[in-house]
Amino acid sequence: MIFTLLSHQWKSFWRGRGVGKSLAMQIFIGFLFLYLLACCLALGIELGFFLQKLYPAQDTIRIYCGLILYYFAIDLVLRFLFQELPVLAVQPYLALNIRRGQLVTFLNVRSLFHFLNLVPLFLFEPFVFATIVPVYGGMAAAAFALSILFLTAFDHFGMLYVLRKAYLNSRWLVGFTGAIALFAGLDYFHLFSFSALSALLFIKMLHVPWLMIVPLVLFLLAYFNNRRFLFRNLYVEELSKKTGKTHSTEYAWLQSRGLMGELLALDIRLILRNKRPRSVAVMSAIFLFYGLIFYRPQYLHPMKTGILLFVGLFMTGLFVINYGRFTFAWQSNSFDGLLTSNLPIREYIREKLLLFTVAATTAFFLVAAYGLIDWRILPIQGAAYLYNIGVNSILTVWFATFSYKGVDLSKNQAFNYQGGGGATNFIYTMVVMLAPFVVFLPLMLLGYAWAGIVAVGALGLVGLLSRNWWVDLLTKQFYKRKYLILEGFREK
Amino acid sequence: MITINGILKSYNKNVVVDIPSLECQAGELIGLVGNNGAGKTTLFRLLLDLVRADKGQILSKQHNVAGTEEWKQYTAAYLDEGFLIHYLTPEEYFYFIGKLHRLSKADVDEFLQGFEAFFDGSILKSGKLIRDLSKGNQFKVGIASSLLQKPEVLILDEPFANLDPSSQMRLVRMLKDLSAQNKMTVLVSSHDLNHITDVCHRILLMEKGRIIKDIDTTADTLQELEAYFSV
Repeated sequence: MIFTLLSHQWKSFWRGRGVGKSLAMQIFIGFLFLYLLACCLALGIELGFFLQKLYPAQDTIRIYCGLILYYFAIDLVLRFLFQELPVLAVQPYLALNIRRGQLVTFLNVRSLFHFLNLVPLFLFEPFVFATIVPVYGGMAAAAFALSILFLTAFDHFGMLYVLRKAYLNSRWLVGFTGAIALFAGLDYFHLFSFSALSALLFIKMLHVPWLMIVPLVLFLLAYFNNRRFLFRNLYVEELSKKTGKTHSTEYAWLQSRGLMGELLALDIRLILRNKRPRSVAVMSAIFLFYGLIFYRPQYLHPMKTGILLFVGLFMTGLFVINYGRFTFAWQSNSFDGLLTSNLPIREYIREKLLLFTVAATTAFFLVAAYGLIDWRILPIQGAAYLYNIGVNSILTVWFATFSYKGVDLSKNQAFNYQGGGGATNFIYTMVVMLAPFVVFLPLMLLGYAWAGIVAVGALGLVGLLSRNWWVDLLTKQFYKRKYLILEGFREK
Repeated sequence: MITINGILKSYNKNVVVDIPSLECQAGELIGLVGNNGAGKTTLFRLLLDLVRADKGQILSKQHNVAGTEEWKQYTAAYLDEGFLIHYLTPEEYFYFIGKLHRLSKADVDEFLQGFEAFFDGSILKSGKLIRDLSKGNQFKVGIASSLLQKPEVLILDEPFANLDPSSQMRLVRMLKDLSAQNKMTVLVSSHDLNHITDVCHRILLMEKGRIIKDIDTTADTLQELEAYFSV
């Protein structure tokens, strides 16, 4: 029975909106999956050699073990943001003659099909085979590999439970974030070293393979806890929706600024009240910390302007590019109504560009803090910011007029192939990001790196100053595509 | 008010709408009946420039609907939930529509007061987003928002289908009053022959995309329609 239910899920994936209407699309998606997994696999294999090169003097395995706990900590945070119980998957079966236990098992198994569960498989296991087996022998390696799996499963089911409780009681939410912050702080300020603890635990396990019982027990506890909880609470409305009244929100200042303000308020509500746009916005905010990784001496002192330009573009423009890709599709549910109402298309497009300007400007002001590291970062980010609001905002709206698939606002983004989905999104982002380098690279190679930066910024400025002309162009383009877009969005 | 000239629309070689000529005067209350797939909703979509006609044109006050936007200022429609903004609360939605028509919040509030009986307490101040309302309530929000715009042309697709009986009667009365007072042109489609013959002055019977009967409503019209649809 459970296999039947799982096969239904398989069918629903391949028959979903935007996935594989044509065989070519299906093959493409299949390849994409395989490619990404191959990347993880390669990463896993390479990790061993990579670590050896980085820290030649120390024992690779020890360092590797030190990283494991870090990975699981990040894993927990990612799960907190992206994981959910696929409750709706079980809805059609609740009233049928299927035993409750089977449904619960189905839900649990179904929830395991998440990319966060695949990653450790391809990241860690190759290393085990490549490096650990020769040193510690098969038994230890097997125990190690299995314990990674069990820990992943423990994370998975444990997190499901925490998320469920967090829905009902926000104290769990606070508690969880607090705990993470505490541990992160302890580690950052070197008060407590997680890498040492991690190394200790896992090396011990390699010597005493039977210690793998510990992760196994943890996993079983989490699984059966989750199972018992679901058994008692198998009501779709309790498991899926957040309870609580919503209040009409007033953005008084915005809404008094005429039509633009009113439309901006509408977009803000869209982002705040719907899961998918919200996660795009959150993602863009998280990547503001990208600078911490890249604004380091190795990139700053020889002033690798190219890389810094990329980082600047990425941070100030991620929202523009990721959100802008679906500029119209976000409102696909109400598109008929919007186009019938007394809303001039030109103003609508103007407002979208305004939204991107606002987002990029906020990002720009926030990342200006990086100027404290090295003042030369500021002009680079400035040029990137100008480019993003002058050129990229227009480019993304242009591309958006070719997007005919609606977006389901309530589904989450990771590996959801609606409207193109995670992987194609990534490719598109990269392509748009690399466009300014067509201008920058030649100048840099000739030795005029800073001139390249100025050129990129100037492009942005030109785009900004000639905005009205571009708005007219985009409006015309929109009219050309209008019926196709409407038809595409109407398909449910 | 509205003129249809030689409109033709097909999907995949199936003719969905084929109307050589049709005239609607200001203040007419027109009902559209027909079996499923007769082309009523597609015709409405053509009227609202949501679908591109293969041939022909639709004129609203002598201007082509496709390619101009002035008609949006005096036309209001509610066809399905795709016309609502489902992540707003009803109040926010009403204020937004009001803003598009230069109505202040106070104007909107005043208008909504007249709808208290229609809403029956489950829409305003409900603490719910539109997507969490029941289907019938969503319909009420849609109908109310189109009437809020005080349009000269109103288009409703099967408004009686999702409403409870008392709301249906209220809607019938509202449509009759508005049409008489404000000279509003109304196009309504419905499967409910009783209401349609009660409300509308003129009934268009569509079959497979064509208008096969164009009747001015009389006491006999209900029988005539029932005879057509009887099995």
